Amino acid sequence: MSVPFASPRPRSALLSRIVAAVFGGYALASVFSIFVSHLLPAELPEAVLGATLFSFAVYTAAIVWVFAAASATRAWLGLLIPGALMGALAFALQVGGAA
Amino acid sequence: MKTTFRQSMSWLHTWGGLWFTWILFAIFLTGTLGVFDDPISHWLREKGKIGEFTPLTAEQRADAVRKAQAYLQEKSPRAEFWTIGLPDDENPELRVFWRADDDAPVHRLRLDAQTGRELPPGTARETEGGHHFVHMHFEFHAGMAGIWIVGAATVAMLVALVSGIVVHKKIFTDFFTFRPGKGQRSWLDGHNALGVLTLPFLFMISYTGLIIFWSIYMPAGILARYAGDEDAFFAKLNEGPPPRPMQFADAPVHELASLMQRGEAAIEREAGFVVVNHAGDRSAAVRIFGRFDPEAETDRLVGRSNGSALFDGVSGETIDVQKPNTVRGGNVLQTQRTMNALHFVRFGGYPMKWLYFLSGMAGAAMLATGAILFMVKRRKKSANEFGGATPRVYRIIEALNVAAIAGLSLACIGFFWINRLLPLDVAQRGTREIVLFFALWLLTLVHAGLRPPLAAWREQLAAVATLCLALPLLNLATTGDWLFAALARGDGETAGVELTAIAFGLIFAAALRQLQRRMAKPAVDTRIDEKTGAPANDVAPATGGR
Repeated sequence: MSVPFASPRPRSALLSRIVAAVFGGYALASVFSIFVSHLLPAELPEAVLGATLFSFAVYTAAIVWVFAAASATRAWLGLLIPGALMGALAFALQVGGAA
Repeated sequence: MKTTFRQSMSWLHTWGGLWFTWILFAIFLTGTLGVFDDPISHWLREKGKIGEFTPLTAEQRADAVRKAQAYLQEKSPRAEFWTIGLPDDENPELRVFWRADDDAPVHRLRLDAQTGRELPPGTARETEGGHHFVHMHFEFHAGMAGIWIVGAATVAMLVALVSGIVVHKKIFTDFFTFRPGKGQRSWLDGHNALGVLTLPFLFMISYTGLIIFWSIYMPAGILARYAGDEDAFFAKLNEGPPPRPMQFADAPVHELASLMQRGEAAIEREAGFVVVNHAGDRSAAVRIFGRFDPEAETDRLVGRSNGSALFDGVSGETIDVQKPNTVRGGNVLQTQRTMNALHFVRFGGYPMKWLYFLSGMAGAAMLATGAILFMVKRRKKSANEFGGATPRVYRIIEALNVAAIAGLSLACIGFFWINRLLPLDVAQRGTREIVLFFALWLLTLVHAGLRPPLAAWREQLAAVATLCLALPLLNLATTGDWLFAALARGDGETAGVELTAIAFGLIFAAALRQLQRRMAKPAVDTRIDEKTGAPANDVAPATGGR
């Protein structure tokens, strides 16, 4: 049941995953909270709060994903792609909403 | 080599769990004790002996506020805030708090409500009371750094819960499986049963804990959508008046006693606190908070509040009034408030508090069994995860297990002993108690590092059991009050604390007895002690009573 701590994964890949989980996951949850605050059918302060209430579940799921992914590279991609998508859409909504 | 999802989750559960288990155990144990912070304060402040507090009359309250204002005016005419805490059942003295500016420390002092003078040390058993455990629970008495540590550990808890569910494919059967006296297998069964039993509670308490500090932990939304202007954001969210920024122009603070009387009339409740923001500045605002009423509205989760009235701090003009137990703000805010109320168990009264207490202790026990299981497994057969350093790392983990589990338990019951044994007239007594609490905890770590693991467990468990069982005697010896006297006068809080301590004493004594039985058995596997450097009879029994 126990997979050794250091092997079979090389140490640098493990470190990469830990950084991805802690910081990448947090960044993804942050972008999620901004993006979803644009979508929720509530007034602005409530939309921000509502989106943030869900963001901790996203953070948890992101960490689980990072350690479940087949490789560290895939783990990073799994964070970066949805993060960039949500970030771009949030930016577009922000600019569009302000115009 | 390809690893399956369950294998990855098993790895994550083991290692993610291990590195956070000590902090999490501390959060769970102190938070669970914090459920009963009021009865604990009652015991620590000897309120059972002092007797019932006589509430102040309206005129006495106004007079106390006048005295406090004169004191604060002299000490810090300009301040970020002044807070005046009116005497109540829990704090029979007049309390003042202030902070000159954002960077200055918060000053807190107790005044004589009649004379307005500082109370000399020794006039009462000055103590942080049960709040000590609450502060340990959410910030380890370390301010913002502590809040972040607790937040990180809480996310780790959620990850450990998710990965734990994945690891246990037979989650339902496992719950009904307990094989006692089988060493490693029993620890695993115990860990599983406790985890499954409390699973919904654990998810709820962890998630709602993060939600309490949502704007600290996840400020991205406010940063991006409100340019980080928290005051404006919260004013809108709470449907309150707009924020009042500093104007940097001197203006005297309005007479507070009359504002308090107007505030009490407006919210139809006695005042508990008078808070002045930006004292001495033209932007000053005075908020009168209603007294907290623990008995009121225990049947509702939404919209519980003590009520408050806000006044212009210079002109005295009324800005805003919110009556007690009224709802303000939208559904999302009420959702967040409900999650707070769920976390703080602000509903359901004593039966619900006991349910939380038992669930929280079961959660703490689940964490403890997990940490112990990690080492029990490896004492039997080293998994050699750290190469040549493995025995040393195991030794550190063993010591941390002892200090985090038995050692913190010792420090917690020790806090009650410190409270009774520390002389009454030392300066900063409340702070000293907390410093001694940490000193005792540190001492258990030193002890765990010096003694062989099982001997350290045995000695610390014995100490916890003794201090718990003897608590009523300590109270009798130091104050003349104790369990039987408390029971006779119907003082459930004092008696409850001592009976609970006795119950814990018996649990720890049982754990001790179990451990000694194992240690009495002959060594089975002597190969390991070369690695840990521990005497054979200290290591072998943990290989399980096969």
